[in-house]
Amino acid sequence: MNDDMILTVKDLHKTFRLQDGRTLNVLNGITTGIRKGEKIAVIGPSGSGKSTFLRCLNQMEVPTSGTITFKGEDITAPECNINLVRRHMGMVFQHFYLFPHLTVRKNLTLAPVDQKLMTQEEADAKALELLARVGLADKIDEWPDRLSGGQKQRVAIARAMAMSPDVLLFDEPTSALDPEMIGEVLDVMKELADSGMTMYLVTHEMGFAHKIADRVLFIDKGIISEEGTPDEVFDHPKQPRTIEFLSKVLRR
Amino acid sequence: MKSKRYDGAGRGDFLLWIVGAFLLYLLWESGFFTAAAWSDFNRRFYQNFIKDNRYMMLVDGLKSTIFMTSGATIIGVLVGLILSVIRVAYKGGIHIPILNKLAETYITVLRGTPAMVQLLIWNFTIFASARDLNTQYIAILAFGLNSGAYVAEIFRGGIESIDAGQMEAARSLGLTYGSSMRYVILPQALRNVVPMLFNEFIALLKETSIAGYIGIDDLTRAGQNIQALTLEHSQPLVMVAIIYLIMVMVLSKLVKKLEQWLSRGRRG
Repeated sequence: MNDDMILTVKDLHKTFRLQDGRTLNVLNGITTGIRKGEKIAVIGPSGSGKSTFLRCLNQMEVPTSGTITFKGEDITAPECNINLVRRHMGMVFQHFYLFPHLTVRKNLTLAPVDQKLMTQEEADAKALELLARVGLADKIDEWPDRLSGGQKQRVAIARAMAMSPDVLLFDEPTSALDPEMIGEVLDVMKELADSGMTMYLVTHEMGFAHKIADRVLFIDKGIISEEGTPDEVFDHPKQPRTIEFLSKVLRR
Repeated sequence: MKSKRYDGAGRGDFLLWIVGAFLLYLLWESGFFTAAAWSDFNRRFYQNFIKDNRYMMLVDGLKSTIFMTSGATIIGVLVGLILSVIRVAYKGGIHIPILNKLAETYITVLRGTPAMVQLLIWNFTIFASARDLNTQYIAILAFGLNSGAYVAEIFRGGIESIDAGQMEAARSLGLTYGSSMRYVILPQALRNVVPMLFNEFIALLKETSIAGYIGIDDLTRAGQNIQALTLEHSQPLVMVAIIYLIMVMVLSKLVKKLEQWLSRGRRG
């Protein structure tokens, strides 16, 4: 295995048990990985399993079978302390999920301080630095409900960064935003990407994916049906399913 | 038993008018509006409340009622919080079947039997031999544990009303389940259920009126005690009812204010 692989996924399966007893196979054997500093865009039709794939990486969903190795540790093993792993894997959600009862500052400092990784003072300094980076230093003592959607998502990104993660998982970070706010969030993500952050990005923003991704995974029916550089996947897709999907998405 | 949560006038003032008219008719029938009755009113009022400082019986009864209600509320909130967290945690992946079963059973039994019966069992069965114990403490325990079962359901509703994404966001930052509950979920849930907790407190206030059955001179019993002294059938109990009503109305106003204040803190 390549040494600079920070995360490897082997034959990942996920089956949901529905309430009526039926089962739904969402992931049907995904094998992939990400290098340090690499940016991977994950695209695919809705219901294809791309979000589930992402959520399996930090065990928000527990995979049915398969292994995920993160920095040499098998995090699907029962003896693995997932809380310690998640410290190093930030996640940014479609709906932000800022903590509405805490100020922006507390949103950023709660996790590092509670886990005794920083003192409150250190965390405050880091919070200010990160907020400045996403252009919201003046909002540090603001309540989340008083921010616009774009500002919320930028705070959410800063919150994930406050744990100094090794990899960031973006789960459709701009899908819930008003169109005029998408740009400011993408700018922040672009800056992160340029700074060498390792990123998984599930998105429908094909233009942005094309611009920042080193590699693109096209997931369909729970498997990676096409994979390659943005040029290969977006401009010269080989699989009929990819061609069909892209023609639908890009026609707009 | 506890559908008696106070919910203001609410459903139709029409019904209220009919009931009011009926009561007036009853009073009229019983000679309440005759001159003789009214000339007698002051004398009887003196007998019931002024003479020998009998109003102090009501004051002491009120103190006892408030003491029991406050104590029971504290126990109820603590027990309810613990029960609800056990039940929610069970669903959320912290599987301790024994604890969950215990909590479920507790809630079923205490909500499924009358508070009155529970009070009697606590006093005459469980603490039958502890005669030195202040009966008020037994009542606080009985009312508190009973209330806990209801508060548990209130809290559970509050916790489950919080978007699952809040827990996910907290866990994704490496917080343990416990820390996520404590710092992220519970503060938001608490804020949502504060009005309902107050209503539970109001319900409890009225519920303690059965404490007289185990010999506690609460507000209700104080009214009966005055009755026994003066052989007066209406004034003491009507006075007791008025005192309860005033307390409930004031508290309900407070809940309304509190609700407004809580919703003002939040912007859509």
